[in-house]
Amino acid sequence: MGGDMMKKLCILSILVLFFTVTVSAALAKVELTYWTHEDPNRTEIENRYIKEFETANPGVKVERVTSPSGKMAEKVLTAFAANRGPDMFNMEIEQEYAYIVNRRLAPIDSKAVGYPSDKAIYDAYLPRVLDPATFDGKLYGLPMELTNWCIYVNDRIFKNAGLNPEKDYPKTWEEMVEVSEKIVIREGQIIKRRGFDFRYPYYLVSMVPMVEQLGGQLISDDGKKAIINDQAWIKFLTFMKEWGPNGRNLGSPTYTPARSLFNKDKNDVAMCESGLYQQGRIRQDNPEFYNSKEWRVIPYPVFKNAVKNVAGNYYGHYFVVNASKPKENQQMTWKLISYMLAHPEEYLSKVGLIQPTVKLMKSETFKVMPYANVFKEDMERAHIVYYGENSAKIQDHIREAVESVMLAGASPGEALEKLKRRAQEALQER
Amino acid sequence: MGLRLIPVSFFTLIWDMKGRIFSSGIEHKKARWGWTFIIPSLVFFSLFSFYPILNALYTSLFRKKLLSLDPPRFIGFDNYVYLLQSPDFWNSIRATVVFTLGTFVPIVVFSLIFALFIMSRKRFQKFFQMAYYSPAVLSSVVVAAIWLLMLDPRGLANQWLNFILNTPGIDHKWLANSAMVQISTMMVYFWKYVGYFTIIFLVGLGSIPKSIHEAARTDGATGWTDFLYITLPLLKPTTVLVSIMSMLQCLKTFSTQYLFTQGGAPMEPINVITLNLYHTTIRDRSIGLASAMSIILFCMMLFFTWLQFKTFRSEEVQY
Repeated sequence: MGGDMMKKLCILSILVLFFTVTVSAALAKVELTYWTHEDPNRTEIENRYIKEFETANPGVKVERVTSPSGKMAEKVLTAFAANRGPDMFNMEIEQEYAYIVNRRLAPIDSKAVGYPSDKAIYDAYLPRVLDPATFDGKLYGLPMELTNWCIYVNDRIFKNAGLNPEKDYPKTWEEMVEVSEKIVIREGQIIKRRGFDFRYPYYLVSMVPMVEQLGGQLISDDGKKAIINDQAWIKFLTFMKEWGPNGRNLGSPTYTPARSLFNKDKNDVAMCESGLYQQGRIRQDNPEFYNSKEWRVIPYPVFKNAVKNVAGNYYGHYFVVNASKPKENQQMTWKLISYMLAHPEEYLSKVGLIQPTVKLMKSETFKVMPYANVFKEDMERAHIVYYGENSAKIQDHIREAVESVMLAGASPGEALEKLKRRAQEALQER
Repeated sequence: MGLRLIPVSFFTLIWDMKGRIFSSGIEHKKARWGWTFIIPSLVFFSLFSFYPILNALYTSLFRKKLLSLDPPRFIGFDNYVYLLQSPDFWNSIRATVVFTLGTFVPIVVFSLIFALFIMSRKRFQKFFQMAYYSPAVLSSVVVAAIWLLMLDPRGLANQWLNFILNTPGIDHKWLANSAMVQISTMMVYFWKYVGYFTIIFLVGLGSIPKSIHEAARTDGATGWTDFLYITLPLLKPTTVLVSIMSMLQCLKTFSTQYLFTQGGAPMEPINVITLNLYHTTIRDRSIGLASAMSIILFCMMLFFTWLQFKTFRSEEVQY
C-alpha cells in the first residue's frame, strides 16, 4: 500500500514537472537579448519599455544586458565571431558599419517597425541621418541617438578667474588657448586647474573637424587617399603640441578626462566637450550644480583663419538586428525597437538623447531643452563622423600622431609622415 | 633502471610497457599509477594549449577576417612576410624585448636578495613572506588601475618623489614621456611579481641542507664566500626556474600596457606584441595576421627558453 502510494506520487510529480516545463517553454516562445552600453538614465526608461512590451506580447522575454561603453566593441565582436551574438545591440556607427558590410545584420522590416515602406522611414527622419546605416540600397538600423558635442562652461570658475562667462567665452581655438591660460592654475609643472581639455580617445569626432576648418581632410572625396592637405594637418599637430605638457602645458591625455571632472564642480576644469546627454548626467551627479544654472553651453570653436566653418562631427548609435537569428526573432526585435523608439521625447527629456526624427526636432520638448538650439545650430554646420570598415584603426593612427607630438617630443612633420603611411595602409586594407 | 616519467623516457616507457605489459613488477605498477595521474593534465594541456597552438599555426596561413562570412583564403606565409616587413611590428618586438630585459633581470636579482633577507631574519619571517607576496594575488587589471591613479600627474608618485627629492612642482611625466612610460610599466610589473619569485627562491634556499653551510663555515668560509661558493651554485636549478618563468611572464605582458594606454599613455613606446595582437584581432578583426603574430611570439619564447637552458646548462645539482 505504502509502496503503491509512493509510486503514484512519483508519477504525479513527474507529470506536474513535465507539464510545468512544457507550459513555460510554450509561453516563452521568443527570447530576445539586447546588448547596450551603460547609461543609468536610459536603463530606467528602457527597462520600463521592455516590461510594457513583454506585457503587450505574451510569450516574449527580453534580456537587456549592459556593458561599459569601451568594452562593447570587444564583447559584440567576440560573440559574433563565435556565432553567439545578441538579437539586437547598439554601438557607434564607426563600429557598426563593419557588421553591415559583412552582412551580419538584418535589413529593416518596415512593416514590423510600423511604417508602410522604407521610404516612409527615410521621410520620418532628418535628411541624411540614415545614410550611415544604408548599404546597397537597404536600411540596416535606426538611430537610438545622434549626438554632437559642444563646449560646456562652468560659470563659477570663469568668474573666479576674473572672466565674464557671458562675453569672454572662447569663440576661436586661439581664444580657447588665451582663456585657458587665464584659468589654469599650476603648481610648478603640475596642472591643478585646467581651462579646457579635449576628449582624447575620440579623435574622429572631436579633432578631425579642427583639421577641416584649416582646409584639410581625413579621406579624399573619391575615398582613395587618406590625409589630405599636409599644411592643414601640420598646423593642427602644431596646435596640439603647443597645448600639451611640452608646450604651453594646458592639458594632456594623461590627466583625468575633463568631462568626468566637470560635473563635480570641484574647481578642476572650467570647460569640457560633451553632448546634450551631459545635462542629464550633471543633474544626476550634482543636482546643486545643475540647478544653480551656473553652467552654459557654447558652440564648437573655429580657428581664426579657418577656411571652412565646421563644428564637431556628429555620431550615431543605431539599433541593429542580428541576421543569424531566426526570422521570428528578427521580426519581434524590430517590433521591440519600434516600441522603444516610439518615445523620443522621453529619451530626450530624461536621458538627453536626440533621436533625429522630423517630429522630435519640431517638438516643444526639444525647443525647451536647455541649450538645444546651440546643439542644433552646431549640427547644421557639421557632418557625420567618418565611418568605414577601418575607421577605428584610422582613429588610433591619428591618436598616435597627436600623442607623439604632445608627449613624445616628435615634430609635427615626423608625426604626419607616419600618420600618412599608416592611414593610407588602413584605407587600402590588405 | 626504473621507468622515469619525463618526456625523454616516454618512448622507453612504451617499449617497456610493450615488453612487460603483464609483468607485475613493482616498478611497472608505479609507472602505471604515474601515467594515471598525469593523463588528466596531458588531456588538459592537449585541449587547452596544444590544440590552440596548432590552430593558430593553421589560421596564420590564411587571410581571415573575424566578421567576414566569406571562406578564409589560403595565402601561405604572406602574413609572416607582411609582419616582418612592418615597422610597427618591429616596434612591438623592440617594446617587448626592452620590457622583458628591463623587468625580468631586476626581478631575478631582487627576488634573490629579498629571499636572502627573509632567510636571514630570525623573527617575522612569515610576515615578510606575506608582505612581499601580497601584490601577486591582486589581479593585473586592479594593479594597473591602482598604479594609474598613483601615476596621474596629480597623484601620489609625483608627490612622493618630489617630497624625497625636494623638487616641488616637478611633473615626472610617468605616463607622458616615452622613456618614463616604459619605466612605469616595468615598475608595476616588478612590484607585482617580485614577491612571487621571492617565495620560490625561499623554497630553493630552504632545500639546501644546513650541514653544507656548517661544513663550509668550519672550513673558514665567510658569509660572502659561503653565498658565492655554496649557496649560489646549489641554487642554480631555482635560479634557472625563476629566470625562465619570469622571462616568459614578461614576454606575455598585456594588461598593464593595455590599461595604461586606455588611461592616456602614448601607445607606441609600450605597444608590446600582445597589445599589437589584441588590436589586430579586436580593432582590425584580422585573425589570420594576429595568429601569425602569436606564433612569432611563441617562437621567441621557445628560443629564449632554449637559450637560457643552454646558458645555464651544467650537471645536475646534488646535495
